[in-house]
Amino acid sequence: MHGGLFILIMWRRSLSAGYRCFGPKGFWGSHAVRRCSAPALPAGRITALQAVDLWKTHFWESGVTEPDHSSHYIMAHLLGGKTIESLEQAKLTELLSREKTEQMWKLCTRRLSRMPVQYVIEEWDFRGLTLKMRPPVFIPRPETEELVELVLTDLEMKPGTGVGADAQQTCMEVGCGSGAISLSLLKSLPELIAVAVDQSQDAVDLTAENALWLGLQDRLQVYHLDVMKEKLLSLCSPVSTLVSNPPYLFSDDMLLLEPEVIRFEDHAALDGGKDGLKVIKQILTLAPQILSNKGRVYLEVDPRHPPLIRRWVEANVEELHYVETRHDITGRPRFCILQKGKSNKDHKLDLD
Amino acid sequence: MSRLLQFLGGMCRVSSRVIWRGSPGISSLLRPLPPGLTCVLAAGKKDLVDLSVLNEDELEEQFVRGSGPGGQATNKTNNCVVLKHIPSGIVVKCHQTRSVDLNRKRAREIMREKLDVENKGELSEVLVKKKESEVRKQEKRRKANEHLERKRLFKESLAADSRSGNDTV
Repeated sequence: MHGGLFILIMWRRSLSAGYRCFGPKGFWGSHAVRRCSAPALPAGRITALQAVDLWKTHFWESGVTEPDHSSHYIMAHLLGGKTIESLEQAKLTELLSREKTEQMWKLCTRRLSRMPVQYVIEEWDFRGLTLKMRPPVFIPRPETEELVELVLTDLEMKPGTGVGADAQQTCMEVGCGSGAISLSLLKSLPELIAVAVDQSQDAVDLTAENALWLGLQDRLQVYHLDVMKEKLLSLCSPVSTLVSNPPYLFSDDMLLLEPEVIRFEDHAALDGGKDGLKVIKQILTLAPQILSNKGRVYLEVDPRHPPLIRRWVEANVEELHYVETRHDITGRPRFCILQKGKSNKDHKLDLD
Repeated sequence: MSRLLQFLGGMCRVSSRVIWRGSPGISSLLRPLPPGLTCVLAAGKKDLVDLSVLNEDELEEQFVRGSGPGGQATNKTNNCVVLKHIPSGIVVKCHQTRSVDLNRKRAREIMREKLDVENKGELSEVLVKKKESEVRKQEKRRKANEHLERKRLFKESLAADSRSGNDTV
């Protein structure tokens, strides 16, 4: 009964997602739109590995990117694992039930339309946490795992701010999406409380859902708020940490995005304006008002941004100084750290 | 050397741009782990405390991330991490989780184990533990066999008694 209901829901979602696929070039504006159809369901029973191979080939022939990974992740998910490597060989060579085969076909057909794997299986992992995923809420990128590491490194070294050793540290996140950053910080730091905002109601809902799912809802407040239009000041008392993976793509670059991104993810979570700095500048303008003294801002940005941000802050935000630029796992300049207060050179006479 | 060539041959099949670089984010990986995470990592490894310490300068990491700005601009699910230890040529590939962060940590754990075996040979803790477990298994088997043998002999003696009837005192 339950299985039948699941398939019904899958069909409804698939129909609304649409079945248009794109040729190997993948430009969303191109006329080369191919209607890709799924291979027929096998007449007899097949093993998981056979299903994986069949779909891997079909994805490849249809121009779907990452044909092997897509097929692997979907099958692993159906068999209760995270990756195909984590499953026992015995399980992979067992014959699939009719129900499982139909589920594989349904999910892989969604992938045929270039729907990201994370939306197809409706979940993904971030620093070891499993989070629910739902279009069009932005899917966390692997680079952002390092942003969390940077924040943790600093927060763990700090004693509690304010009077008393057990004074609570508060972190604010702008543009929380699925909640990946805030929830990851909360999981790693049992004493932390977090406030997260997003201009998308879908994102706010998903973050709240993930918080509940992970049992972290008591330490997280989520608000529907657009930083371009509203103040953050009223939400909570000054925070020690402000973190964000704001939309930072250059508007022109939006045209070059692969179908997975441009067709399914919220453009407002990606487009940072002509120079990609629209939202970043706003966050940095508001930062001094919500940060406690010596509080820090951690941003993920486009590789071209760090020197631009440094210059802009020096000229426009007196109360913030640029601390450093950090690189991501691929070696690109990716993270900017700034601090409230004068630069260290001017701190000689400060006693606190 | 041939292993490296084989590996390089494998790498050439990858169409996206592959980046070989010295291990980035050294400090973030060597910093003391937050309490929760330490417990998780230590759970299966609490016996192996004396493994060789990894020198990040001797490691190179590979990620398949493609060209372009990366980050928000792309959504790739390939989170495989390949870690190479330059001095010994040992290569570890990890795709056990869906999180790059965890794959990097896990790859380093596996590398430490392999280096331990490589460096300490017979004395490697990994091998010692393995041997101990083998010895325990053999002991168990031996005892089980002994037990079965005693049962068999006992049954036989019972059968012999009943055959000879009341002659035996």
